[in-house]
Amino acid sequence: MVSLLASQNPDGGWPYQRGGPSWTEPTAYALLALMAQGSVAEAVAKGLRWLDTAQLPDGGWPPQPEVRQSAWVTAVAALLGPAALGVECYLRGIGWIVEQTGEESKFLSRVRQFLTGVSRGDPGWPWFPGTSAWVTPTALSMLALRKAARRTGSAQIRARLDLGASYLLAHACRDGGWNHGAARVLDYDARSYPETTGVALLALDGDHAAAVAKACAWARAQLPQCRASEAESWLRLGLLAHGQLRADAPAPVRPPRTIQNAALALLASAAAAGRNAFLE
Amino acid sequence: MAGLNRREFLAGAAAELSLAGCSRRPAGMAAGRERLVSVLRQPDYNQELYGELRRLLVQHRLPLRGKRVLLKPNLVEFEPSSPINTHPLLVHAALEAFRAMGAEVSIGEGPGHRRNTLDLAEAAGYFETIPHFEDLFTDLNLDQVTEVRLARPHSRLQSIYLAQRALSCDLLVSMPKMKTHHWVGATLSMKNLFGTVSGGVYGWPKNILHCAGIPGCIADLYHALPRHFAIVDGIVGMEGNGPIQGTPKRSGVVVAGRDLAAVDASCCQIMSIDPRRIEYLKLAVGDVEALAESIHQIGEPLDIVRTRFNLLPEWSRIRLS
Repeated sequence: MVSLLASQNPDGGWPYQRGGPSWTEPTAYALLALMAQGSVAEAVAKGLRWLDTAQLPDGGWPPQPEVRQSAWVTAVAALLGPAALGVECYLRGIGWIVEQTGEESKFLSRVRQFLTGVSRGDPGWPWFPGTSAWVTPTALSMLALRKAARRTGSAQIRARLDLGASYLLAHACRDGGWNHGAARVLDYDARSYPETTGVALLALDGDHAAAVAKACAWARAQLPQCRASEAESWLRLGLLAHGQLRADAPAPVRPPRTIQNAALALLASAAAAGRNAFLE
Repeated sequence: MAGLNRREFLAGAAAELSLAGCSRRPAGMAAGRERLVSVLRQPDYNQELYGELRRLLVQHRLPLRGKRVLLKPNLVEFEPSSPINTHPLLVHAALEAFRAMGAEVSIGEGPGHRRNTLDLAEAAGYFETIPHFEDLFTDLNLDQVTEVRLARPHSRLQSIYLAQRALSCDLLVSMPKMKTHHWVGATLSMKNLFGTVSGGVYGWPKNILHCAGIPGCIADLYHALPRHFAIVDGIVGMEGNGPIQGTPKRSGVVVAGRDLAAVDASCCQIMSIDPRRIEYLKLAVGDVEALAESIHQIGEPLDIVRTRFNLLPEWSRIRLS
């Protein structure tokens, strides 16, 4: 946590690498991690001010202030919730997320899918507007909306969550986990990644589909072989969500090489200690 | 000019001068000398690479003293046993060669599928092979970005956010693996420029490049990043279902040159692929036949090093007849 605090930029945001410009994603994860520790109010207040300034008029957040377009990082920012972001700012962010779908869900694409007989399944979320849905932005958007649904009880949000879960289940790889979202390429099976499997499992918290049990088994087998801190953190978070992180699971060993990975490692540790910032 | 004797130097200089008379110039290409392409026979990844690359840079007479050079290898997956990533020894040999020419050299990459770039580099052997690798390396996916307006786009993009490090260097050295590619036929030095597009903005994968048309985006990046050089790792490439699930193909060559399109067209011929049937080459230069004719190749003759890369059935149409 000391390292996280030392990495905060004077403008209040966090960079991916110490000394770099502030980006929305590491700022939001750093804030989630610091808030999960329940202290350092000054750093949190500065970070929240940075996020408040960065929000665009459409309610979303750009990945970086240089970018003039709201994108996937809106879901990460929205995970901070209304108490941190302010109710109006938060609800505008949630509204932006609800409006987003992958390009394949748009009317013309659906007509094309109908004519070709190739269905891309239920709508998930894209990384960037105007592109297709993928596993990670779908999972992150679901996590943000799940929090919102608990607060607002919105039927529209619950419907999107159901569709998001269907998207994830339809895009699992044959080996049991998830990769970025292309389970088959030109009739070849593609392999799962640990980090995307972990975040998808976390987003499917409470889902008892057989595919989820299969993914948990894949995730447990992968955990000792992880070659990146981010993968370790997401796998632990995903397995914890389903009560599948065994007591004898290996401790994280990979060094976090970016600020957001350091924050994710803290969030995974907090979740293991009973405080899961993604699900509470 | 370590490792280069007088005869080799003169041969290189003569080769350059001989290009002055080239008459046909494909669209978007500068004058003749940029179409010099070197083909080195290099059967394995070994210490000979260091001397070979130094000789190669001297032959190409790049003005490098005091220049900022960014080496851009291709890092894709955590599979050290597969020829999926550019070999670290080739990157280190290039680093040493550019340094010997007086350049300030750094390394950068922004993978398309996996976010953990430094971990990927570690798994690929870069930490082990290249001293102080972490200090030299920039994750282009997470670098500061600049929006670049595309003057005459070949894709549906009007502008694109690129890594500042790639835009600000004096010379961007594209160092791909020689591979077949299930979407565009072959992935070489031009396609490798996808790694300069910001993953932090567009995500993993950088799906905007797919939605806007992959061949057109390759051509757009070729024109958006004009200060470039290519060194293609064809010592062990990949055939079949590349760029990830293919199988190793030992072709024993390193291909290099100042114009990425000319280098890629030569690589295609080495792979027994017809460059005229590669869409992004057509978009980038217009007349690929004129491009091929204008290439002045030095080193191993193409006929000698040509080898047959297996193609997926969907790509049988690009086979060189």
